[in-house]
This record gives sequence, C-alpha cells and structure tokens, in this order.
Amino acid sequence: MNQRTTLILVALISLAILCISPYLGLANNTAEIQHHILTQLRIPRILFTFLAGSGLALCGMVFQAMFHNPLATPFTLGVASGASLGAAIYVYLGLSFSLLGIDGGAFAAFAGALIAISFVYAVSRYQNGFSPETLLLTGVAISFFFSSLILFTQYLSNLTDSFEIMRWLMGSLTTVGYDEVLQLLPFVTLCTGVILWLSRELNLLMAGDDIALSRGVPVHTIRYVLFIVTSLCVGAIVALCGPIGFVGMMVPHICRLFVGADHRWLIPTTLLFGGSFLIVCDTIARLIIAPADIPVGVITTLLGGPFFLWLLIKSRAKLA
Amino acid sequence: MTTLLEVKNLGFSINNNPLLSDINFQLSAGEHLCILGPNGAGKSSLLKILMGILPASTGQITLNQSDLSLLPQKLRAQQLSYVPQSHKGLQFFSVEEFIKMARYAYHSALSDWQPEDKQAVERAISITHTEDFLHRKMDTLSGGEAQRVMIAAALCQQTPLLLLDEPTSFLDPRHQVEVHQLISDLNQKHNITIIEVSHDLNHAAQHSQHILALKNGKTQWYGNSPDLLNNTHLQALYDQDFVFTTHPQTGAKIALASEQL
Repeated sequence: MNQRTTLILVALISLAILCISPYLGLANNTAEIQHHILTQLRIPRILFTFLAGSGLALCGMVFQAMFHNPLATPFTLGVASGASLGAAIYVYLGLSFSLLGIDGGAFAAFAGALIAISFVYAVSRYQNGFSPETLLLTGVAISFFFSSLILFTQYLSNLTDSFEIMRWLMGSLTTVGYDEVLQLLPFVTLCTGVILWLSRELNLLMAGDDIALSRGVPVHTIRYVLFIVTSLCVGAIVALCGPIGFVGMMVPHICRLFVGADHRWLIPTTLLFGGSFLIVCDTIARLIIAPADIPVGVITTLLGGPFFLWLLIKSRAKLA
Repeated sequence: MTTLLEVKNLGFSINNNPLLSDINFQLSAGEHLCILGPNGAGKSSLLKILMGILPASTGQITLNQSDLSLLPQKLRAQQLSYVPQSHKGLQFFSVEEFIKMARYAYHSALSDWQPEDKQAVERAISITHTEDFLHRKMDTLSGGEAQRVMIAAALCQQTPLLLLDEPTSFLDPRHQVEVHQLISDLNQKHNITIIEVSHDLNHAAQHSQHILALKNGKTQWYGNSPDLLNNTHLQALYDQDFVFTTHPQTGAKIALASEQL
C-alpha cells in the first residue's frame, strides 16, 4: 500500500469513528434527552478528544524525531509532569485569570512544560549529545521530581482543591464542553501549522543532528521553535484535561510503520490517527462500566505500558 | 590557482579544555587535502567546525574571501557538504528518500521540486553507481553501499568543497579501493575540492596533494603529501617507527609500521 492510499484509508476510518462514536451508549433515554446529550455533551466531547489526541500524537512525533528515539515523548521526558505541576500550582494558589480568552491554567501548564523541556535539553547538552539512556533517565528523574512536588501541592491544598487536582491528574474528558474546544483549538492549530511548515526539517532531524546541519538545517533555532510550540500545545491539553499518557508514543510509532518516516505523509496520518485513537479510547472508557465514566488516561496508560516495554525490548534487540 | 578556503589560527575548546589550537592551512580550488593523525588528535572536530556542526572558539575561516562564520547554515550547505564517519538512525528512510532530502538547501517550505533538483539527484546517483538499490531501506545496505549513498547525498548539495570523515575506515579491502577510486574521480573528473580525514597514510601520500598532520589538537606537520613518508615525520606523528618499501605494481613509496623482531 502506498502512502497516499494509507492516508486516505486512515482519513475514512477517522471519519467513521467521528460519526459513529457520539451515538454509542445513547439508548434508554427519551428522544429529547438523547438530543440534549448528543449536542451538549457528546459532540463537544468528541471534538475536544479529537483535538487533544491529534495534539498529543503530533507532539510525540516531533519529540521522537528531534531526539531520534521512539521512546522520547512529552510524557517520558517529563514535559507533561512539568505542565501538570504548573496547573496544580495554579489550582492550589486559587489563581484565576485569563488572557485573550484563554484560561490562566494553560499558561501555568505551558510554563511548567517549558521548564521541564529546558532542563532535559540542558542536561543532554551538558552530556554533549543525546544518549537515549541519559535522555530517558533524565525524563524519569524529572517526572518523579515533579510528581512529588504535585503530591506536595496536593497535601497543602484543602480537600476540594485536592480532589480537583487528583481527578484531573487521571486525565479525563468527562467535563468538557464547547468552551474547552474553543480554548484548545488555537493551540493545536498553531502547533500543527508550525509542524507542517517544518516537515522537511523534521525529516532531516530524524537523520541526526550532524546530517541535518550539514544539509543546511539551522538545528538549534528549529529545535527552540519546536520546543515552544509543543510546550504550548502539551501545556494547553494538560491544563484542560489532565495528562493523558502514551498517545504521543504509540500513535506516531504505528503511523511510521504504515507510511514511513517522511513527515509530509506522517504528519497528516498522525493527526488523524491520534485524534480517532483517543476517541476510541474515550468511548471504551465511557462504555466499559457505564454509566460510570473511567478517566481515559487509565485506558491509554493500560495500553501504553505494554507498548512501551515492547518498544524497549525491540530497540535493545536492534542494538545488540 | 585560486584560494578556496583559508583557515587562520583556528582553535576549539570544550569547557576550557583545548581540543584544537592554532590550526592554519590553505586550500586551492581543485585540491585534495588529507588530514592524518592518531586517534583523538582532533581531525573529526576540525571537519565538524568547517561544516558548522561545532562552533570554533577562536580564529577565522574564510571561503572565497568571505567569513564562513557569517554564513547562515543553509548557504553554508551550498558551499560545503559532509560525509560523517558513522551514520545510525537512518533505518526509516529509503535510499532514494535520503538522497533527495539532501536538496534541502535549495528549497523553501513551499517550493516545488525543480528540474535542476532532478538533474542533481540523477547525476549524484550515476556518479556513485547507486541506481541498483534506490528502493532499499538505508539499514539494509552493506558498509560499502551505505558509504556510496552517503557520498551521493553529499553530491546532491552540488558544493565546490566536500568533507569526508574516514570514508573507508570500516570497509573491506575491495570496497576501500572502490570508494578511494570514487573519491579520486570526484576530485579529478568532477573538479570537487576535497578534505578527507584518513588513517590510510599510504593512500593519502599518493593521492592527495597536501597533508595536514594533527597531534593532540596541534599541527604536527603540513606539506606536500609524498614528503610525509619518512621516519622522522611519521615517528613524531604516531610515536611508532616505520619502515619503507615500494609498491610492486606502481613503484610508489609505501610506509609500514615497523615490528620488533
């Protein structure tokens, strides 16, 4: 199957998922209630989920290309923990502001994400290169460090705030409405636009920094730009629905197996597949013990853990 | 001959630890310069500085009379191309994709593939005889094939100056001869100026015009290539005695590491 056919197929499947999933689990209600659920709850939730899934998958794809490692994603490198900490502190301090219609929590999460990524980058620069082991261990260390700071914040908070932080840390899409969709849209659009604009640079970054530089890519500038847009996007997603793990690792890796490493094909495929993948996970989370709604982060992490191990074992085998 | 590249008082250090200091040399258009020296002498670092992969700490590099450090990376890639010593992480690319990606410096985000791009790619492929495995994945190539693909990609950049970092070190004798022949052709038939880091001092002495010998980040010897082959110079460079003989076919002088009998 060539790249074009694969992309068209993924697009059709995504369209089907977008159309079918809102109607699942609607039964046992009057027509009026069904209509209300559909327009006021389901449709915004599906739209938001699609945006969040696309954004997470694209950011994961960018990290994998920049660090030349399928295990490097905003989550494994501690960027999502940084964003979570930022948002937790925002809740704890009881802050409430918005700028240009965007909630302050998103900015706090963005700041946290940027601090985390700068730290990872500084450590790997100091080490004079991105050895995969150093990179992942740095990410793990940062995740633990930020997680304990989040726990500390939670401990200091009152019961309501603490519950709010905890629920949101599980990564849930239960409470989103049209407002959240509109909040997230500019971030994901900006991030997608920049990534599309830089698709040739991403191809070369994937081949390694030395090759990218010798072909003429201003690697350091490009990396800063990508750090900022991915931090913005991950920050906004984490602030609005909590850290939903592993989407950014699984989706781009699977897409790469299907359409190859050329980002001109990989970007649209990852965008569509990431969005519909998260919708499927969320639909499972919604239906599996209905009427209870499991946080979707639980589902993605249940799938992602084994996937991570599989990648780890496979990459070891390849090195040996 | 016109001077293409001039390196003056070049130095490079990491954390105040000097890895290269006071490097001076000139390169005329059409020349083939070899950089020799023991492991860790700073040979690869020198190439990376020229390519803009590492930043020079001191000194000046001028290319065609203009300061190289002021040149944006994209324009630098139209003047210099580089074949790295090792290349990992290319498993996702097909040979053709990888070669075509080397036209980056001639494009912007919105520009289309032009006839001159097609021409450059076809020419690079035919010079390096890589037609037969264009559709294979990079990680299925043998060492010799991979090296030819790396050279093909560098040729797509259509640069007057080509930097090669130990292009034959990991190859078997047959493929060493093959890649050496390709480099000579590039230099002589296609008039590309070459800087090659090498450990093959006999090849360097016979096929390059000048040799820059580095030791501990400093210039140990710099001159006309055949003149390097005497025990004083080589002993000083490698801390190893050499004996000399002649090549039975060509009659060229050959240095061999001496053994304790």
